[in-house]
Amino acid sequence: MTAWRPTAALGRAMALGAVGLVLALVTGSPGLVVIAAPFAVLSAITLVHRPTLRPRVDSRVDHASLPEGQGTTSRLTVADGDDVEAVTRVAGRPPYVAFHPPGGQVSGLLADGVPDVEISPRRWGRPTLGEESVAAYSRWAGFRFGPLRVGGRQVRVLPATAPYDSRAEAPQPLGLVGANRSRRPGSGTELAGIRPFQAGDRLRRINWRVSLRTGDLHVVTARAEEDTGVLLVVDALADDGASGGVDGAASSLDLTVRAASAIAEHHVRRGDRVALRVVGRGHEQVGYGAGARHLRRIRDELAGVQVGTGDDRGSGALQLGVTGGAVVVVLSPMLAEQVATVAATLTRRGVAVLVVDTLPPDAEPDAGEGTDPELLALAWRMRRIDRSVLLDRLAALGCPVVAWRGPGTLDDVLRRLARRAELPRVVTR
Amino acid sequence: MTSYPTSQVVLRAAVLLGPVVAVLTTGPAGAWPPWWIVAGVGALAAAAAAAPDSQMATGASLAALVWWTITLGDDLTGWVVVAAVALVVGHVAGLLASYGPGTMPVDPDLARLWARRGSLLLLVVPTAWAVTRLLRGDPEQPGIWVLGVATVLAATVLATAALTIHERDGRTS
Repeated sequence: MTAWRPTAALGRAMALGAVGLVLALVTGSPGLVVIAAPFAVLSAITLVHRPTLRPRVDSRVDHASLPEGQGTTSRLTVADGDDVEAVTRVAGRPPYVAFHPPGGQVSGLLADGVPDVEISPRRWGRPTLGEESVAAYSRWAGFRFGPLRVGGRQVRVLPATAPYDSRAEAPQPLGLVGANRSRRPGSGTELAGIRPFQAGDRLRRINWRVSLRTGDLHVVTARAEEDTGVLLVVDALADDGASGGVDGAASSLDLTVRAASAIAEHHVRRGDRVALRVVGRGHEQVGYGAGARHLRRIRDELAGVQVGTGDDRGSGALQLGVTGGAVVVVLSPMLAEQVATVAATLTRRGVAVLVVDTLPPDAEPDAGEGTDPELLALAWRMRRIDRSVLLDRLAALGCPVVAWRGPGTLDDVLRRLARRAELPRVVTR
Repeated sequence: MTSYPTSQVVLRAAVLLGPVVAVLTTGPAGAWPPWWIVAGVGALAAAAAAAPDSQMATGASLAALVWWTITLGDDLTGWVVVAAVALVVGHVAGLLASYGPGTMPVDPDLARLWARRGSLLLLVVPTAWAVTRLLRGDPEQPGIWVLGVATVLAATVLATAALTIHERDGRTS
């Protein structure tokens, strides 16, 4: 159990004071009294102010969830702190977390208020923030309470939304009400054509100019506007490249997660239904849904993505549960055969699939100690050649592969997929 | 590589220099210390500067005190004031540095508080020097040294009792 204990400084002052006075008395040297006197006085003052009340300390973090790059505050509360003069806080050092004051180390007088520690997670994930060691000092620093470990709360650090926008429409929307132009005629605003009036047509659809010219009533037809389903497939089987946090270099998983977050936000705002499937250790999965709450759920799941293959579920063929009319966006560095296989299979089935390549150009393999660097470089070069062949074969199958570059990344391929969706085709089932 | 803030560097330099200066001041007083004494005290002081929360500083300061005991005799030189000031400054610097890890900057308010307290402690040094100098010419009273030893022993017992803390439970609200 933690209790007040004398500090080394008190022991030093008492030793110097006592030994100095004893030596002065034994040897009859009055000069030693001059040296010992301030330490004897300091010891006496410190002992007079010895603490008797056990303080209770606790700390908490202001937020349970926040976007990466933003900050929160860890606040310390000291109860029964009548005997406490100063407090020292030393925060734990989880990776990708910045502190203010630097290092999360701060001390201060309790009379001035307990010093706060500002914490800013620099990378998405679920780190434990606010864990720290706290020590309390009595008046004249004669006694110390602690250090004791307090705090610690798992915080969801949501991936920062990468800048993204798209003006392309979904290739084959099949839903209810949305913003994507459908192939079906309906009551949208996009012109589909002009045809002779039929019984049941709305009068406000009559095009008077054509009707007057032809002598028969003609109406304007429009295409329906529907929502679409977007399935985001996130490849978390490996994390290639170094991550420098939100301000630094991005690893493949950083790019994947941030791009998935951006695409999800874009489509949810357009009124589309978005689903998430993580291929990795955690097998996170979110069904189709729309709205701000659903977007929040997707970003929560993305924050918890764990790298690795996990159990044997990752080694078999992937079952993504693709629904009709959905667009499948595969975000992957395309180094896993499993992901390439599922993209190719879906493309053959006629599903609109596009692959967003998230391998950073300067990614290097992470090899353990003792690996021959030349051998490693050769292996990595061969792996990249394999990968480029794989991407070419996917493109030949009709599955477009684009590198993530932020706004407009998907525009061109989505338009091409939309044009292709209007053509008749034979698909394998 | 660990980088230390300026405040910690200054404090640790004071921890290092305090005992060394205290030993070296016996030189102007008439007895220069041999190099191995200075080196030994310097080594202890360096260890104390590296770990101010350890008892290394006690060893360095006690070594300086013992050297003064050996060389001083019953002489009352003014250099003993310099030695006492050096030891007090080193002690306060070590105390301030041990509030946290070496990479933590010292809180300015805390530093100001201890600067005030250190100044008050330093006032004790010339006062003690003046008092001992005044009393030095007086004829020695029989039994004064025995009384002094008894007083120190009593103070030690009281201090030991005071160090045993009987903690109270916190108030419930």
